[in-house]
Amino acid sequence: MSRAGAEVRVGAVAYHPRIVTIWEAFLEHFDREGVPTDYILYSNYDRLVEAVLAGDVEVGWNTNTAFVALERRLGGEARILGMRDIDSQFATLIVTRRGAAFGEVGELAGRRLALGSRDSGHAAILPLHYLAEQGLDAASECELVRFDTDLGKHGDTGDSELRVIRAVAEDSADAGALGEPTMAAFRADRVPAVADLEVAWRSPTYYHCNFSALPSLDDALARRWAEALMTMSYDDERMRQAMDLEGVKRWLPGDRAGYESLATAMDKT
Amino acid sequence: MTGKTSPRRLEAGELELGGGLEVLLAAALEGMPAGARLEVLTPSRSTALELPSWARAAGHEAVGERTASGGPHAVEIERSPFARVLAEPLPARGRGPRLRDGELHTADLRPPAEVPAHVAAVAGLTPLGAVAERGAPAFRWKLNERDAIWADDVSELTEQASAAQWDASRDIPWEAARGLPDFLERAVSQVMTFIAQNEYAALYVPAGFLADVNPAYPEMLMWLSSHVHDEARHVEVFTKRSLIGGQPGYALAATELSLHTLLDERDFSGAALLLNVLGEGTFLDLLRFVEHHAPDAATRAAAALAHRDEVRHVHFGISHIRRHIAADPDQKAALIGAAERRAAKLTEMSGLSPLLTEGLTVMAAGSLQPAELARGATDVRTLMRTMEGNRIKRLGAAGFDARDSQHLSDLHTPNLM
Repeated sequence: MSRAGAEVRVGAVAYHPRIVTIWEAFLEHFDREGVPTDYILYSNYDRLVEAVLAGDVEVGWNTNTAFVALERRLGGEARILGMRDIDSQFATLIVTRRGAAFGEVGELAGRRLALGSRDSGHAAILPLHYLAEQGLDAASECELVRFDTDLGKHGDTGDSELRVIRAVAEDSADAGALGEPTMAAFRADRVPAVADLEVAWRSPTYYHCNFSALPSLDDALARRWAEALMTMSYDDERMRQAMDLEGVKRWLPGDRAGYESLATAMDKT
Repeated sequence: MTGKTSPRRLEAGELELGGGLEVLLAAALEGMPAGARLEVLTPSRSTALELPSWARAAGHEAVGERTASGGPHAVEIERSPFARVLAEPLPARGRGPRLRDGELHTADLRPPAEVPAHVAAVAGLTPLGAVAERGAPAFRWKLNERDAIWADDVSELTEQASAAQWDASRDIPWEAARGLPDFLERAVSQVMTFIAQNEYAALYVPAGFLADVNPAYPEMLMWLSSHVHDEARHVEVFTKRSLIGGQPGYALAATELSLHTLLDERDFSGAALLLNVLGEGTFLDLLRFVEHHAPDAATRAAAALAHRDEVRHVHFGISHIRRHIAADPDQKAALIGAAERRAAKLTEMSGLSPLLTEGLTVMAAGSLQPAELARGATDVRTLMRTMEGNRIKRLGAAGFDARDSQHLSDLHTPNLM
């Protein structure tokens, strides 16, 4: 079936070949729900944000960083159509070698802190923000060890976080920041470097990705598309593999409450 | 922390995530209904900090965390509403199959009545008894009807095949095959080459069906695999015998023509009739002849061991055809049709190759002296009569009446297989 007449074009960043697998399955779901949808892939979030602004796609599957950037460019509020369950309770962890955990964040002063890609909300921007809130200006008080890999993809690939945990494990950093789900995935995959690490700190929770659109998107279409998204079930055998690849068990409507910290942090940069 | 009922409690002790705690957690949550709560107690702050993301990754929810002063950290997890495996629950534990003096026989894995008459063509690679998860990619098996492929004793035959394996490199006294006079080696080698050529076809026919069999019939898969494996060893042993004396033989075009038509048969039962009953059946007599007249112990052993395997293959063929015809008498005409179609393609074959009859005659004579040659020729004529008589008996055992049996025997290829 041709997708040329799709009602909704979703833009996503192709950070891994599995994005195609995910979206091919998602499109079938939207077909079944009667909201024909197509997807367009971009190599980085800057282009995706441009595409949403230009109307090349109706919906962008944005990271939190991309969403805040979109709103800055808009000069107003974008429309949020949905997010994954894990996006609503995201947090950043700081890990150390086993036995080297700190009690208060101030103890990190003068130590080497590894961070992921500088455009990653969870692996770089927000840990600095929350540490500052708790009294540690890591940028000036710590020796930052940055792994700026895959820039433009906002940390999606997980590559910079893998480098972070290796740096800590190999003692080329004393502590390192990474997203909670990344750490859980490293544990589940038995990544050797995490075996001798412990979690010393967890940030407050914040929001991560969302489906965002311009405020001008037709209300009825936005509602139909969001409703179709919410009906996707993890107990549907046609969807489970794609949902596992996307890291979602259940879609949530989403709101703006969890993006304030990142907006504040990005305003300072 | 709020909960409708007080949560179950799990003491993590020194266990950490990635270090075994996840096994305890999964086991505890598995037995709980959706929405029920599990309180995990751990002395490790690090583990407590990681538990919420572990829970979310597994589809559960972390609904509370607390640290009592001086006490362990507690994380309360609410069990996911999602099924971990998209399938019916596993059946309750049963007794398991019976043993015969400590042996677990394939025939005892399930009673014959539980072999399904029809299985879905899209079925997955689901071992017997296993509960298949939904969402696996669909296959397109071609052999999905029990009666199209089954034999009542297929499990026992598989059992026998496993027990009767032999080694063509070590179980044959190869030294004994060296040093035959040229005329005799040439005769033996030609017969061995002919048999090896035919064994190729006996391998390719079951191999062609093997990959079509629905995995819900594992007994059939095991049987066909053993058949293929047997024939591979027959190719091996007769090739080796043709080479050991240093004198290769001819791979004859007429033999190839006959085998080509055998490989053309794409119906399982048609192929079982042509290969197992008619072809391998006729070869039983040929192998017995070779064993009896072999001028050396290596040739004798090769023929005897191959004969033992062929008995199983022929038995399967007869058993299958008998069941097939009994289930649907109309199949008899279809099977005769398969033999007639093959015979029509073989009209250009004049008879058994003279090179083979000469080889067999010299083998039986053991010499080029006229008196012995005459005796050898008589033995070969007797062999042909024996082959025909036994062929008709086997066809009768497979369920054909005397007239059809004679007709089918007459249609059989002059190439023997």
